[in-house]
Amino acid sequence: MRRRRFIEVSALSFASALLLACDSEGPKRARPALLAAERWNEKVERALFRHRSMDYGTAVLAGAAYPKYFVSDRVPIWDEAKRGPWSLEVTGLVDQPLRLSLAELQALPSVTQRVNHYCVEGWTAVVEYTGVRVSELAHRVGIKPQVQYVDFASFDSDYHESWDLASALHPQTLVAYGLDGHFLGPGHGAPARLHSPIKLGYKCTKYLTRVEFMAERNGGYWSDRGYEWYAGT
Amino acid sequence: MKRHHWVVRVTHWVNVVALAIMVGSGLRIFNAYPAFARRGDTFCCYPFAHKAIPAWLTFGGWLAGARNWHFAAMWVLVVNGLVYLGFIYLHGEWRDLAPRRGDIRDAWEMFKFYAFARPDHPRQGKHNALQRATYFALPIVGAASVITGLAIWKPVQLGLLTDLLGGYVWARYWHFLAMLLLVALAFVHIFMIFAVDPYSLPSMITGNYDERLSPEERNARPFWHLLPPRRTADAKASGETQP
Repeated sequence: MRRRRFIEVSALSFASALLLACDSEGPKRARPALLAAERWNEKVERALFRHRSMDYGTAVLAGAAYPKYFVSDRVPIWDEAKRGPWSLEVTGLVDQPLRLSLAELQALPSVTQRVNHYCVEGWTAVVEYTGVRVSELAHRVGIKPQVQYVDFASFDSDYHESWDLASALHPQTLVAYGLDGHFLGPGHGAPARLHSPIKLGYKCTKYLTRVEFMAERNGGYWSDRGYEWYAGT
Repeated sequence: MKRHHWVVRVTHWVNVVALAIMVGSGLRIFNAYPAFARRGDTFCCYPFAHKAIPAWLTFGGWLAGARNWHFAAMWVLVVNGLVYLGFIYLHGEWRDLAPRRGDIRDAWEMFKFYAFARPDHPRQGKHNALQRATYFALPIVGAASVITGLAIWKPVQLGLLTDLLGGYVWARYWHFLAMLLLVALAFVHIFMIFAVDPYSLPSMITGNYDERLSPEERNARPFWHLLPPRRTADAKASGETQP
């Protein structure tokens, strides 16, 4: 009956290994392999990336069902009394840094697009954003040849996320100030936020204050906390 | 003569680990939004919306952890699957698994045997028709889960594929159903290993299989005749020795 015993032992050890693994983050030793896989995936995602791949939102607008997220304890609201009028800084490795008031931003050529918002959690929402293409801003400030990355920073605590330049210059990547035909509300990143269907939601910084063109990446709020940095769709 | 080539044995167990990681981490990812409807929309075909999968069935600990495992193990699953399929194609094992004429009749005979409507185990070679159907379906369902997975990983850059599957929401649903089907087939497989042919478990590790202990020789139904036959007495009594 040694064969029987062998079967029992192997079945038991396999089942207990599975049970031990459940609901855990897995062995710590696997971390380097997981990070290597993420770097490999970024290569694949960059290779798959096309400027001409466009997203389009079908079906009904999510409207009020579009979730509102921020990382501060309370809805971040720009306090003019304390901080003066809001403005967007477009800076970094550029020929001519810009500081745009909300009126100046809204005066720039704009686009309105009905697209999906792809959340990392797995839900999508059809949204209609109005705003200025990041490529338009890049064109106006004149980015230097060594620019590889763009950081999008906010006044929502220390929230920021950096992007690869190609994704930032995609025609559907906007600095948006309008949502579903209205100006952005405080729950959705007023007065202006980054939005694009080509990256997961957490890459699209809300409550935007600064767009910085850089030679190196500088991570991001969620990407520093274990989420994938590239996060393209 | 080994029952299973070492390439088949290695890819089998790599697949077990990769699939377990994929299913567990996939369920943890699903739990971040355990529903299919677009925000502000409805979805026809999932009655358990917003009910989380029990944590003990999941792997990865949290959403990011599960995603990192999922997007790493997917390469193991795909590469391992391609090695397996390439090997059985080049080495000829695919002939043991491909559907053949008479499969439906053979499957019916197996059903009859398991339902005690036929006394003797049908002789259908290395795998019976029910096994062949399962082992043939598994790579197909696996491929379906990979394709639907690609469609929800890159719904914009691979938008054509996502559209073909009916859009992101439906692609995510097909991905979920493919997983359910894989799990169901795997559970039937594991059940039959222990209930009918426990001697095939070591054969998937060492490659050796004692044909005298096969289900045909033991006339084994689920949980019936699990022990080795007492050779001479049994063979005489049943009178069903076959060439």
